[in-house]
Order: sequence, then C-alpha cells, then structure tokens
Amino acid sequence: MNQKKILFQQKLFYSTAGCLIFLAIWVILGYILLKYPDYSQFYGFHPLATIKAFYHLLYSPHFWDAVIASLRRVFFGLSFAFIVGVPVGLLIGYYDSIWMMTNIPIQFLRMISPLSWMPIAILILPSFEKAIYFLITMACIWPIILSTAQGVNRMNPQILAMAKNQGANDIQLVFKVVLPTAVPSIIVGLRMALGISWIILVPAEFLGISSGLGYSINDARDTLEYDRLLALVIAIGFIGLFLDTSVRLLEKQSDLRYIMRIG
Amino acid sequence: MNKYTRRDFIRTTSKMIGVAGAGSAFYIPELLSAEQQTLRIGYLPIIDSAPLLIAYANGYFQDEGLKLARPRMIRSWSTLSESFMANKFNLVHLLFPIPLWMRYQNRIPVKILAWDHTNGSAITVRADSEIHGFSDLGGKQIAVPYWYSMHNTIIQMGLRKAGLTPVIQPQNKRLEKNQVNLFVLSPPQMAPALLGKKIDGYIVAEPFNALAELKIKARIMRFVGDIWKNHPCCVVVMKEALVKKSPVFTAKVVHAVARAQLWINHNREKTAKILSREETRLLPQSYRILHHALNEYSTDMYGIDSPIHAIRHPEWKLNRVDFQPYPYPSATHVILNEMKKTLVEGNSQFLNQLDPTFIEKDLIEKRFVKEAINNLGGMSKFPHMDLTSPWEREEIIDFAI
Repeated sequence: MNQKKILFQQKLFYSTAGCLIFLAIWVILGYILLKYPDYSQFYGFHPLATIKAFYHLLYSPHFWDAVIASLRRVFFGLSFAFIVGVPVGLLIGYYDSIWMMTNIPIQFLRMISPLSWMPIAILILPSFEKAIYFLITMACIWPIILSTAQGVNRMNPQILAMAKNQGANDIQLVFKVVLPTAVPSIIVGLRMALGISWIILVPAEFLGISSGLGYSINDARDTLEYDRLLALVIAIGFIGLFLDTSVRLLEKQSDLRYIMRIG
Repeated sequence: MNKYTRRDFIRTTSKMIGVAGAGSAFYIPELLSAEQQTLRIGYLPIIDSAPLLIAYANGYFQDEGLKLARPRMIRSWSTLSESFMANKFNLVHLLFPIPLWMRYQNRIPVKILAWDHTNGSAITVRADSEIHGFSDLGGKQIAVPYWYSMHNTIIQMGLRKAGLTPVIQPQNKRLEKNQVNLFVLSPPQMAPALLGKKIDGYIVAEPFNALAELKIKARIMRFVGDIWKNHPCCVVVMKEALVKKSPVFTAKVVHAVARAQLWINHNREKTAKILSREETRLLPQSYRILHHALNEYSTDMYGIDSPIHAIRHPEWKLNRVDFQPYPYPSATHVILNEMKKTLVEGNSQFLNQLDPTFIEKDLIEKRFVKEAINNLGGMSKFPHMDLTSPWEREEIIDFAI
C-alpha cells in the first residue's frame, strides 16, 4: 500500500511541475510579445487576455453548441472508421494474401492529406455535414486498420493452433481468440485516430456548416480576435485531453481483462 | 451447374442495396420541377454577399414564393466554386473572372445574371509605411485574394501605369526596384501578414480593409472605386441548365436580389446591423466593423486635404460600396481585355480566343435583370445612372498616380 501511495505522490508532483513550467513559458513569451507596440493586436495571445476570453466563452451558449456539434462529427467520423477499419484490419492481419494485396494501396491512400479529399467529399456526399464525417473517416481509418492488423499479427500462433485443436469453429476463433488478442492494439489505434480526428476537425469545418469549434476558430480569424482564438484552442485542448483520458481508461480495462484471460 | 444458394442471394441483394445507396448520394436536385426547387445559397463572409443575405433576411425571396434555407457560409473561393459546381448551391456570388473560367476553361455552363455590387475594394498598407501611391510599390510584396479576381487585374493595371512590372515569384527571391511581387493570401490572413511585415500591402474586398483600419491601424492607400468608377467586383451566378429550365424561378430570384440591392443603398446602417454578429450572425463581424466597411468614405477622413489622401476623385461622389445590378457591356469589354494582360498562375491561354462581344451574349443573361430593374421603377432608382442612356455607360478609369 505504501508503495502505491509513493507512486501516486510522485505522479502528482511531476505532472504539476510540468504544467507549471508550461504556464511559465507561456507567460514569458506573452511578456516578450507585449514589449513590441507593433504587435499590440496580438495582445490577445497573452495569458491574461486569453483567460478572460476563456471565461466569456464558457458562458456563451454558442460555444457549447459548437462543442456538441464538433463532438458529434468526431463521433460519427470515428465510428465509421471503426466499423469499417476493424474488420478490414482483422482480415489483413489474419490472411497473408490480403495483407500482400492491400499493403501498397493502403500506404498510398493514407499519405493523402484528408483535406485533399474535400472536393470529392463535396461532390459525392449529399450534405456538408456528411462531407465532414467523410473527411474525418478518411483520416482516422488508417491507424485503426493498421493497428488492428498489427494486433492480430502479434498473436501467438500456438494459441490459435490450440484453440483449433480443441474444436473451435471459425466464428468462435474470431470472437473468442483473435479479437480479444487484438483489442489492446485496437485501442492504441483508436487513441491515435482520436488525436488525428481532433486535429483535422478545424480545417474540415471550413465547409458549409454553421457551428462547431473549427467554425468558431475560423470566425475568430476572420475578425482578428486572437484572444478568443487562443481561448478556443485551449478549450479544444482540454476536450481532447478529456477524450483521450477516457479512451485510456478503456485501455486499462481491456488490458486487465486480457491479462486475466491469459493468466 | 450452379446452385443458387443463400449466399448468392445475400451477395446479390447487398450489391443492389450498395448501388442504390451510392446512387442516392448522386441525387441531382435540378431534376425537380420549378415549383419544388429550393433555393440554396452559398456565400463568403465578405460585404459582397450583402444583397443575397439581405434578400434572405428581409424576406424578399420568401415574398416571391421561393423556398429556401438559411444561406451557407463557405470560407474560401475554391470551396465555394467546388460546391457550386457540385450543385450544393444553385445561387452564389462569385468574383467576375471565376464564371468566365468555369464556362470557357472548364466548360461548365454557368450564367451571370446580374452584378452583385460595385466598388467596395481597397489597397491597404501599414500606417507607418512610405507607400502613398502606385509608384511607391516598386520592390514590394503585395497580396491578392485570388488570381482570378478583379483585384489582381486592377492592381496590375495600376502597376503597369506607374511603370512597374508585376511578377509572380517566391518571396525570398531578389526583387528589382521596378518589380512588384504578387501572391495569393486568403483575406483573413492578410491583416496579420501586413502587421508581421510579411507583405507590404494587399488589395481585397471589404470588410478586410475596414478590419485592418480599425484593428491594426492600417491605412488605405487607394480605393479601387476611386480608380475605376463603379467597377464591378462580384457577380450573381446560376447554372445555365437551371436558368433555361426554370425561367420563372430565375426571374423571381433576380428580382429579389435587385430589390435587396435597392434597399441596402437606402438603409446602410440597418444593413450593417442586420448582418452583424449581434443580430443574424450571417456575417461574423461586429456591427461597428460592418458599418465602417459599408459607409465610411468621407472626404474628411480620406479626401485631398487629409493625410491619407486615398480619395482623389471626390467629384465622382461614390460610396465605399455601392449596389446596383445591371451588367454594363462596356465593363465586360474592359475586364476581358485587361484580363488578357493579367499575370496569373495557371493556364490563361483560352482568354486569347475570347471575344468580348461574344461573351456579352454567351455568359451574361441580361433579360431577367432588365425586367427586375423595370419592375422596381427603372434604373433611375439606382445611383450614378445616366438617365439619357440607362443601359450603357462609359468606363472611366483614372489612376491619378
């Protein structure tokens, strides 16, 4: 018990120190910026102005509408990527022939910046909202496919042989052996995909929608309101942190179950 | 000997569902009849969009019996053009050269139905810079909003008039004293770039000049309207197929837009208020900035005796932005001829084969706008019309360098 307490205290200490150092650097940079009267317009980037703007943001209903709209887009985009990506990843990881067939096309497609898909998205999707889902899916599907495939690959072939020996049919193999083994890798892929989706949300919301965090950031740029811009950036950072932490809790859960199953 | 198994059945049905699903994504709204046609408007968050937005906000489209949803804001000309070409919108405002490019280079049949506005652009520089006229632009970096824009054409006209050579080259390449380097920046990036000394000036539509004046203490070098009297900038565009198939729909649309332009001319403060973020949020800017962008054109501030000296033709009695719909043929001639001399990125060879008189009839559809103007009381209702010959005018271009 004592060891756990010490570990926790260490973690608290180091993470607090890290945040404080980060804040200090920001304040120093802000101070340096202020020294130049020419850059007075960029005063908005100073921590004090930003905190004030952040406070106003929390009280504005538009902001919360924007959060919901953006979360919705990330949710749908990631879900499509997950629903399509995991089965494809499983197939690729399990069958060598499929891996050899899809390797080059996937490497090619994943290098295409999701924003280059914009004209195509506009053309084939019936609405801008769905076009944004498409862009997010196109960005997020690759890490999910690749990490799922890797998760399957990592599996010990002896376990597979053992299960087959004990009379497992195809369905049971997939759901009781292959999938649980791949889950830790899938979750790693999900975390990466989450990060990517959050990043391309802002440029993706360049399309014709009327609310969202990226939309609000574009508004702030269009009106040269940099304090609001930075406040939005901080809000986005917090939300992203929250989402990532939630997925990591999921990861811990699945890791525990995996360990219990093997041990 | 093929047994039609359950597997085959599932495969076939899922293929059918897939095709149907993909097909519905290519849903082409144009096939609806005129009565069911919904007006889908796309716009950029600049003052140029005011006629379309006010026609929506004041209910003019609805008065004509048209069905429409709230106009959609797009952030860049490329995305707006792509969405228009993909039929996400059936009514947009575009920079004058864009439909020209669409129709004659990309072979997409579009029609210009009316002018969206005149004037409303300016060249902005830093307050502390030594630039007071075109001849001071030698060796400088100037940003334009889009290659296929009136702004690019006019600034190059001015540079050549001052004996300078416009070039397009990387920013860090050496620039001679008689050369001026041009490149494209999106309007919201122009003010920060000016402030950060990445560019020495830019030419753009309002409200980005007003924004720079009010927020970073920039200075207007010249107003473009003060150079080319009542020049066109944006135009109202629809697809030719829609215009041909639904002339009644088109007439209603043009009528509503012209009515909005008339209203804006007489209700400028109200326009700024309605469109601002404090009311409909159709434009993200605040009332103060929109008001400045629409109305601030006083000789006290910009006239000959002022330090800014941006207005050199006070006798033209213009406004900072004016709204009138009639597409004067003489302006089309000037634009096309000047565009042939304008330096752009991309292949503009096709321009050399175009004849202004041909374009007049082929690209621009004047009957709807003429009918709309007559219904509203004639051209005398709009500013700066020569009553003796309302459908023609002489283009007056004077750089007053």
